[in-house]
Amino acid sequence: MKRYDGAAALGPIDLTVTAGSTTALIGPSGAGKSTLLRMLNGLVWPDSGQVSFRGRPLPRDGLPAIRRQIGYVVQGGGLFPHLAARENVAVVARWLRWDEGRIAARMEELAAIARLPLDALRRLPRQLSGGQAQRVSLMRALMLDPEVLLLDEPLGALDPMTRFDLQQDLRDAFARLAKTVVLVTHDLAEAAFLASRTVLMRDGRIVQEGTVEELARAPADDFVAHFVRAQRRSP
Amino acid sequence: MIAVLLAIAVQVGSKQFTESVILAEIAVQTLRAAGVDAEHRRELGGTRVLWEALRVRQIDVYPEYTGTISEELLRGEADLAAALERNGMRMAGPLGFEDTYAFGMRRPDAARLGIRSLSQLAKHPELEIGLTNEFLRRRDGWPRLRQVYGFSDARVRGMDHQLAYRALRSGKIAATDLYSTDPEIQAADLVVLEDDRRAFPRYDAVLLYRAVLPEPAVRALASLEGAIPAQEMIAMNARALLDHVPEAQIASDFLRTRFGVASETKSLGAPQRIWRRTLEHLFLVGVSLAAAIALAVPLGILAWRRPRLGQTILTLAGVIQTIPSLALLVFMIPLLGIGAGPAIVALFLYSLLPILRGTHSGLTGIAPELLESAQALGLPPRAALRRIELPLAAPSILSGIKTAAVIDVGTATLGALIGAGGYGQSILTGIRLADTGLILEGAIPAGVLALAVQGLFDVLERVLVPNGLRS
Repeated sequence: MKRYDGAAALGPIDLTVTAGSTTALIGPSGAGKSTLLRMLNGLVWPDSGQVSFRGRPLPRDGLPAIRRQIGYVVQGGGLFPHLAARENVAVVARWLRWDEGRIAARMEELAAIARLPLDALRRLPRQLSGGQAQRVSLMRALMLDPEVLLLDEPLGALDPMTRFDLQQDLRDAFARLAKTVVLVTHDLAEAAFLASRTVLMRDGRIVQEGTVEELARAPADDFVAHFVRAQRRSP
Repeated sequence: MIAVLLAIAVQVGSKQFTESVILAEIAVQTLRAAGVDAEHRRELGGTRVLWEALRVRQIDVYPEYTGTISEELLRGEADLAAALERNGMRMAGPLGFEDTYAFGMRRPDAARLGIRSLSQLAKHPELEIGLTNEFLRRRDGWPRLRQVYGFSDARVRGMDHQLAYRALRSGKIAATDLYSTDPEIQAADLVVLEDDRRAFPRYDAVLLYRAVLPEPAVRALASLEGAIPAQEMIAMNARALLDHVPEAQIASDFLRTRFGVASETKSLGAPQRIWRRTLEHLFLVGVSLAAAIALAVPLGILAWRRPRLGQTILTLAGVIQTIPSLALLVFMIPLLGIGAGPAIVALFLYSLLPILRGTHSGLTGIAPELLESAQALGLPPRAALRRIELPLAAPSILSGIKTAAVIDVGTATLGALIGAGGYGQSILTGIRLADTGLILEGAIPAGVLALAVQGLFDVLERVLVPNGLRS
């Protein structure tokens, strides 16, 4: 579904994501996971090679329209501090002039999926807990019902309890929505829990892809074996 | 054509000193008494400013001195009238008195030493002489006197005009240079020494006017020829400077006793005067600030979007900021003349940098993940700017505008130097008349206005800055 061939800082990489699949990009910091993810919606542009969406290269001057079909949760949530949670979620819908009723209906639907209490939507981002902010960010990414969902370390800075709950809820949401999901994580267990396919990266290249079991059972090289072992030992 | 000319009031300018203001006021009231609509553009500045203003038709008439015309304005022209004609100007007068350089001594000293003329003073090199710095420097001042009378430099010192008077009164110096119509001559009972070898050029007071002035106006100005003897001028200067009588009142009294002309003077009370100055001041600040916002905010956005171009824009605005305000105002005169126009342009230029910086730094200060989120959500650049980026930069933009506004309120007081009005007018007139009350009448409202502007922006901040950005 998306192809990417080679760039100076990253790659060469050839990656295809099939519709409806859930893919985790994993690897040590500096491996290029976030860069690769941001290439998928044109935030980073390759020096050579190209990214295709639905079989067609990303159009450089039509990016906003494409991006509205690709939900994106930036690392840390990226909620706009000047807008209440509700307005953060609705910001693009308002620009598209959806009517109030449609916005409210969609908002309720999403709050249920993201398991966010409705009254939290009235609050400003700084009045939300870390977990709530992340849920609002997820709702914002899903507002226009995009085909694809990109998440950059969606559970990065959360405490273990919140993280556990949110992992659960994310997995339910992915299953329920049947969207194409690509997420970045550095946690192997999280990758195994949330994604059906894992892509292990190092120094801007893909070292191995498959399920976590495959990676553990038949590591492509010493690095993969080492990475899997190190992650398994940690809690 | 005539109808158009008559429809517009004749603009009478005056220089930044009392005698000039009184003469202009006399001219205005004389014109009005003759049925010609006239307006006084007060205290526009020095000789250069008035001359330029007359040349570029910003004013139609102003009082000048023949010596200044021949020595400074049209130096080297043999035939003054012809040279003026070439500049589209004519002279009315002489008005009857000379305001030239002169030397004054205390009456008892002069009597004791038997000094009545400059050549007699030159024979007493032991006497201490205090001279104003301008006089020491001017070609037609001290250098000329030394040449003509053979004065020695031994006991000469440069000092301020007012200090020189004080030193003369207390006997610390024996003689000083003065203007022959200074009211202090009368107040301190000084003897004016005769310029027996005519070292000084003639400084006959005249009215310079544009040659296209309509006939009734020219006739009215001509009626003032020889009307003001030196004693009269000294007395009028004394009333203004020592008794603080408004110039309009002095002019009106003069015309009544001299010509039996009753001219109404509308002298404003302090509240109306302050109100009028406030409106003028607000006009200067409001227009210049609005224009600066309209340009600097978009420029700030451009500077943020195009960092290299942005550096150039910010540097340029920084350079403008370093031009001293007085110099900038003077630069404006040949381009835009006098009055509110050039002052507004100058204030506008000064306001650019703070607003530009506020906008630029507000935008560059936005966290990268927020910019990325706005992009990733699929908001086109314009929508992202309006809905996300500008609101996030709002506190910084507003504080830039606030800085500009407060600076504007202060700097606008200088606008009075080129006839823009505002609180500066009261301050300037107050300084000229050494009238502290009048100075405060400008300075206090200017301070209050600056505080009010600050308060207004604090309120605006509460209204305009989104809730989530307030600490």
